Amino acid sequence: MTLQDWVPEIGEFLTLAEVIDLAFDYRGNTTVVKVDGTEIEGYVFNRNREASEPVIEMFDAAGTGPIRIPYSEIRNIKFTGRDMAAGNSWQAWLERKEREKAEKAARLETGPA
Amino acid sequence: MSVPLSQMWTVAAYVLKQKLSGRERYPLVLMLEPLFRCNLTCAGCGKIQYPAQILKKHLTLEQCLKAVDECGAPVVSIPGGEPLMYPQIGELVDALVKRRKYVYLCTNALLLKEKLEQGVLEPSKYVSLSIHMDGLREEHDEAVCRDGVYDRAVEAIKEALRRGFRVTTNTTLFEGASPLRMREFFDEMMGLGVEGMMLSPGYSYAKAPDQEHFLRRGRTHDLFSKMLSNARKHWKFNQSPLFLQFLMGKRDYECTPWGNPTFNLFGWQRPCYLLQEGYAESFQELMESTRWERYGRKSGNEKCQDCMVHCGYEATAVDDTFSSWKGFRDTLVATITGKL
Repeated sequence: MTLQDWVPEIGEFLTLAEVIDLAFDYRGNTTVVKVDGTEIEGYVFNRNREASEPVIEMFDAAGTGPIRIPYSEIRNIKFTGRDMAAGNSWQAWLERKEREKAEKAARLETGPA
Repeated sequence: MSVPLSQMWTVAAYVLKQKLSGRERYPLVLMLEPLFRCNLTCAGCGKIQYPAQILKKHLTLEQCLKAVDECGAPVVSIPGGEPLMYPQIGELVDALVKRRKYVYLCTNALLLKEKLEQGVLEPSKYVSLSIHMDGLREEHDEAVCRDGVYDRAVEAIKEALRRGFRVTTNTTLFEGASPLRMREFFDEMMGLGVEGMMLSPGYSYAKAPDQEHFLRRGRTHDLFSKMLSNARKHWKFNQSPLFLQFLMGKRDYECTPWGNPTFNLFGWQRPCYLLQEGYAESFQELMESTRWERYGRKSGNEKCQDCMVHCGYEATAVDDTFSSWKGFRDTLVATITGKL
């Protein structure tokens, strides 16, 4: 389950604060859409809801930052970047090991040429 | 136990000073992550899954040293990512030694031989090369998802020992680990001549690729009891014996999440090395504004229920040593006799 490519619809059933929490938990780049219509693509690494002015912190796609954006300036966050935690490196490793074992067993069964 | 006397004394004096000054929460080990980049993608690791621009970044030397000075802990552990990929690792370790900090450089050792040959690191009583070894060849290569890593690590350990470095191993255990194979592994590591071994159950990182093999609490007790009961005399563990007894189910401890504070590219991580619930700009802010009551087993936080990891509980064990005569006596007895 990944949020990759999701464009949230903020409204009665989904608040901006909830979307920000999901973006904070997401291990990929997102695109922050500001209320003035501008967009910043990057990695949201922090959010503080309990500050007097709630704020997110991010590094942009070039790695510049930290950039602080108050919640009040955010309209939405799109999950545009690849989810780096959705990889299957371990599964791929297991499958390759199983394949190698099967090949070795087959070679032993066939015997020397 | 194998922690050198000078290190034991430094830690003991530090803890007693905190207690005498009435400081309720104090750090014991700073977890300093200068970068997230790594040359392995281990199945149980939840530390390195970031977009490219984050993996390319690293802390400056000045940021690292500022964090060390702010925190004040007597021990600095440098995990990552792979710390030997940090361009200023030599300068960082030198600066820590000058500050008389005990350093654990936690490495998978793939680059170690090369760095030793380049003279990047110097042997010191303050520096321990802590080599990631998750078991014998088959188990370790499977845990790190690459063949040949165990052999390269063994080669690097031998080279480091030959050059006079302190070398320890750090081992994370997962569901399915065989107690008998682990006992063979302890023999193997001690046979290489390492100073001591560090053990911990893995933490179930939500972001780790392998979610099926993290240990639950009861299984942790069972595994560590089978592994460590009748411990062989030549096994040396570079950690608190009370922590190992806790893993075996002989003691019940509560987590000390502030014991191993973590500093990385994002700031001071709340609340601990394992959970990422936000970042503070300064160490003081971390200590004063984190809602500590929300963490640990008693809090009911489900993310903490099965956690028995060293970064939360070893600080509790060390604190226990200096909180009562019983704790002190039990530590002394286990240290002298080697019985857990």
